[in-house]
Amino acid sequence: MLLVSDSTFGYYGLGPPPPREVGFERMSEPRIVPPPDDERHALQRRLLAALASGDKTALADLYDQLSGPLHSLAYRMLGDPAEAQDLLQDIFVQVWRTAATYEPARGSVFAWMATLTRNRAIDRIRMRKRRADALANAAPDLQPSATVAEVDAGDSLWAREKAAAVRTALAALAPDQQQAIELAYFSGLTQQEIAARLNEPLGTIKARIRRGLLRLKDRLPSGL
Amino acid sequence: MITERQEELAALHALGLLEGAERAAFEAELAGNAELAALVDSLAGASANLSFAARQVPPPAGLKERVLAACASVPQSAKAEAALAPVVGFPLRRLIPWAAAAILAVTAGWLASRNLALQSENDFLRTERQLAQVAYLRAQAELKERSIVAEGLINDLGRQLRAQDDLTRLKVTALVALAGGTPEARAIAVWDPGREAGLLTVEKLPAIDENQDYQLWVVDPAYPNPVDGGVFKPGADGRVALTFKGNKPIKSVAAFAISLEKKGGVPKAEGPIVLLGKVPPI
Repeated sequence: MLLVSDSTFGYYGLGPPPPREVGFERMSEPRIVPPPDDERHALQRRLLAALASGDKTALADLYDQLSGPLHSLAYRMLGDPAEAQDLLQDIFVQVWRTAATYEPARGSVFAWMATLTRNRAIDRIRMRKRRADALANAAPDLQPSATVAEVDAGDSLWAREKAAAVRTALAALAPDQQQAIELAYFSGLTQQEIAARLNEPLGTIKARIRRGLLRLKDRLPSGL
Repeated sequence: MITERQEELAALHALGLLEGAERAAFEAELAGNAELAALVDSLAGASANLSFAARQVPPPAGLKERVLAACASVPQSAKAEAALAPVVGFPLRRLIPWAAAAILAVTAGWLASRNLALQSENDFLRTERQLAQVAYLRAQAELKERSIVAEGLINDLGRQLRAQDDLTRLKVTALVALAGGTPEARAIAVWDPGREAGLLTVEKLPAIDENQDYQLWVVDPAYPNPVDGGVFKPGADGRVALTFKGNKPIKSVAAFAISLEKKGGVPKAEGPIVLLGKVPPI
């Protein structure tokens, strides 16, 4: 019997999806297989809809699904465990308050919450900068990404698989493109600051980001 | 057809790197270009997935309870915080008025900031001009002061030159004794041709009787006889200093002479010449 990773799947709206059985795996070690991304996205949308109506159980389930990657993003950008936890709490409180305003046409729930998290993290990074803290210490932008083979303890299977796919796509980029994109996404630096940090002309940095992000888009599996 | 520049702006927009007027302009462009909007959506999706590139660090176990408790204490709002971060695929046409408003706002902001910048620049230039004026006035004053000093120096120099000229003009003559009775007597006559006047100093001239006077004579070749320069009587110490003028206009002086005459002097020398000095040619 093959089970989906999330027991709440089917709890909200559409009823449980039919458990998928894979005959030849029946004889092997039982393992948990995540649902496809489309189903995952649909589940998250249902959770958010339930959350918008005040369902705290849905909030807890959404936390279980998304807190890992969102916390990782916050920690990567802020480099401080306490601040990353504060930020994660802020994001869930914001989502709790404003879930009714979410529009599915604007992207997946995860993409929405990841954008909220990144924007809040950038705000914090820039606030630190305004406080004259050293940005280099504040934003661990050059912290190496985990390798494809690295196993992250405590992570969900869904997040691990997505992480592996993204890291594989990133690793396929030219090193200078990868560096520019990671700085652009995680550091909270402006275009000019990235150029200064890498000691390259602004035009070169823009070109690297353009080529790198286009290539990353092409290399990421569709529906990821 | 999407240009490289549009691709570049799309990538920067997807990563949130466009700001201000550049962002507003691009979003306005997006509103009218479905192909470009689709590219931005796909790049935004790829960008959002970058969060998985971070090393996965699970939140601490106790955080979930904290989050749930925090949410429980916050009321939900149906329309609160409407300005959520755009992610992907939103209907662009609805943004046209907002984009236009944003462009107007950004433009107005830019114009306001430009105005402030120009005002600041204007103030700066005005200050610079005032400083330049002050420097000019100071330089002018210094120049005037130096001119005054220079004028003074020139005047002094002129005076010195005139004085030197005067001195060179003066005729100085030492008179020596001719008669045997006044061998130690000395006299100096200084003659100023311009003023036709002179100064006579005499030492060790012998005392004379009450009914006698020494008489000074100015020898001018223009006259057949020496011109009367006046009479005098030395003091008890034999000294005398006096200014003198001829009783006729003097054109040039060839010599000075002092004779011993009767009291009050005579029109033409009659007594013995006791002192005589020729005026040097230069």
